[in-house]
Amino acid sequence: MPGLGSAALVVAFGLVLYAALAGGYAAYRGRRRLLDSATNALYASFASVLLAALVLLAALARHDFTFSYVASHTSHELPLGYTLASFWSGQEGSLLLWLLVLTGIGSAAVALNRRLIRTVLPWTVPILGAIASFFALLLVFVASPFATQVAPADGAGMNPSLQNPYMLAHPPLLYLGYVGLTIPFAFAMGALASGRADERWIIATRRWTLASWTFLGFAILLGAKWAYEEVGWGGWYAWDPVENAALMPWLVATAYLHSVMVQEKKNMLRVWNAVLVAGAFCLSLFGTFLTRSGVINSIHSFTQSSIGAWFLGFIAVVAGASTALILYRLPLLRSRTRLESLISREAAFLYNNLFLVAFALTVLWGVIYPLVSEAVRGVAVTVGAPYYDFFGIAFGLPLVLLMGIGPLIAWRRASLRALGRSLLWPAGTAVIVGILLLLGGAGSSPAGLVGYTFASFVLAAIVLEFVRGTRARHALGDGSWFASFTSLVGRNRRRYGGYVVHAAIVLLLVGAVGIGGFGTTREAKLAQGQSLQVGDYTLTYLGSQQERAANSQELRARLAVSRGGDDLGTVLAGKNRYFAEQQTSNEVAIRSDWLRAEDLFVIADQFNPDGSVFVKALVNPLVNLIWLAGLLFVAGSLITLWPDAREQRRLARRFAEEGALARA
Amino acid sequence: MARRRSPARLVIALSVAAALAIFLVYTALAGGTPSLRPSQVAGHDGRVSVAGKVVGQPSGAARSPDGLRFTIRDVEGSATLPVVYRGSVPDLFRTGRDVSVEGSLRNGVFVADKLVTKCPSKYTNKPA
Repeated sequence: MPGLGSAALVVAFGLVLYAALAGGYAAYRGRRRLLDSATNALYASFASVLLAALVLLAALARHDFTFSYVASHTSHELPLGYTLASFWSGQEGSLLLWLLVLTGIGSAAVALNRRLIRTVLPWTVPILGAIASFFALLLVFVASPFATQVAPADGAGMNPSLQNPYMLAHPPLLYLGYVGLTIPFAFAMGALASGRADERWIIATRRWTLASWTFLGFAILLGAKWAYEEVGWGGWYAWDPVENAALMPWLVATAYLHSVMVQEKKNMLRVWNAVLVAGAFCLSLFGTFLTRSGVINSIHSFTQSSIGAWFLGFIAVVAGASTALILYRLPLLRSRTRLESLISREAAFLYNNLFLVAFALTVLWGVIYPLVSEAVRGVAVTVGAPYYDFFGIAFGLPLVLLMGIGPLIAWRRASLRALGRSLLWPAGTAVIVGILLLLGGAGSSPAGLVGYTFASFVLAAIVLEFVRGTRARHALGDGSWFASFTSLVGRNRRRYGGYVVHAAIVLLLVGAVGIGGFGTTREAKLAQGQSLQVGDYTLTYLGSQQERAANSQELRARLAVSRGGDDLGTVLAGKNRYFAEQQTSNEVAIRSDWLRAEDLFVIADQFNPDGSVFVKALVNPLVNLIWLAGLLFVAGSLITLWPDAREQRRLARRFAEEGALARA
Repeated sequence: MARRRSPARLVIALSVAAALAIFLVYTALAGGTPSLRPSQVAGHDGRVSVAGKVVGQPSGAARSPDGLRFTIRDVEGSATLPVVYRGSVPDLFRTGRDVSVEGSLRNGVFVADKLVTKCPSKYTNKPA
């Protein structure tokens, strides 16, 4: 069986290498039949990688400990779901998942745009092949998931912290996001290499980019939810390098999604978009590198991982080749139109881009700063949360403001007077909300107060847009108000789906500001019967209990919760001791109150021999909005992604016209 | 005419970028905590973070006045540093793990109030 897996990977390596080399030759010399052959090799490589993946899955399901990978990531006691999920809990399996997703969606994107690629963008196929070759090379020669050993009696098991449903879903979604960014990259570079700098590659990849960006964003939030429940320090995002690794490509992809609309509508920002798409892809590689190489957490042991240097080399090659290609095609990328006014929709998009990219670069700087400072000054210096918080606020607040202004401002050239008129209602709402919050005592966190004022400004602007659009449709006699509303959204999916995503970001902001600016923390050592006051809650320690579960011993502290004299029941917080893994895992108690929109978060930090327990308790206001924002984010993305026949026809017409113009 | 205007904008954009870059470098140099190896800690008075491998058996309890006592060693080397830690102990803390502690050196003992273990996804649990 391991032989079959290895063989399938070798075959896949050969196929993607052929797709890269033969495809490159075919694109260079304009040989269509050879290009078809390279394309078919790409499709076949997916089947071959899929076979390898199935071999590994089967080995996991059978607990075949002759596979080193299976033995070091699972055990007999591990439940089946987690056993199968061990596929992506180690380095080799993760790489295999990368290659599987890459060949899968690469083949699908090529198959769906086959005519476009044959005639206009032949270089896309060899570029996809070359990227896949790198991962196949690693899997065959450096980090094979099919290494064998003499089977031990039992495996090492899975890290208890990873035994959480959110961790089942987080890595594959994250990889879908990372790998998905390969598609716009390959098409963009394919367009440049093929000398076709028109907007067709953008149209072809719009949904792929959006979908990858959605997966990436949702995966980041799932990871945050996991950290909130399982790591259990009371927060949801800690600016850890591993978290930042996913945030950076998401920020750059967000910038790209916005600026690409300007290129689609106005033919502007072409160089900038090519740079962004290459940047997003490089950052997604860098993200994989960060999480997999261990370079940042343990900066002194660079050789620890077998793939770190390979990844750095590959990122350098990708960055260098993209830069060279963009410079080489610079004359082709010159815009036909220019920015007419600094007060216009185009300019608003540009500002949004500058802030997003500046933020991403700030985060990148913070992540690599230990390496930079060690090289320059001899001492590695890490920057902590204050650095990221400061720039998050400095760049985040203007971005939020732009989110409210951008959709209301006219294309090309807007007058300040007209802009002022359309902003009157949202700004008025924001001022009123701000004053009310100040009177309500929200002034304790100035940044939080500003954040909430801006958030209400954006929300009011979004609601206003929906109301105006629905009223206009209703006035056209489109039946009931509800029918007017649905037809409004249905006919302008990209626009109104985008507004829903904006609303989700505002919700996220409200939640993040709530937990960051207005939370309460208390801690105390409690003997049986003693109480701890946190916020409006009183926690009384009732005693401890022990239970034996399938693969762990569960120790819990029982605490009675009351608020203002009302008994709210008990919560259990404690620790699990896992046998196979010989490790403890903190199990926090979270009591969500949806009406008050706050969480009571209880950590039983230490059980003392004298029967007392050390408890840390937090009240996290509005944290639930963060998770709600994740669902709304996906809903908004789905609206924009939904196929739209009208739009397809319009685009087809547009390119038919442009083609005619170009020929004339 | 449109062409003549754009260089000015480019200059503005570049200067904004440069100002930001200088600002970034400045704040990053002024803020931040030095991260050291146990062998480098001697001589640093201020707050530093130290990364190393836990050796020997930890003793005491982190949520008691005496704190949790353990020793860390250079990941690749032999210099060691005794540590006293008070606070929450992460799940992954135990002998043999790579950890990072933050605090300052007092009378030859490193007094820490922050303890971080490496990200769990990188661990392979060795059978005992």
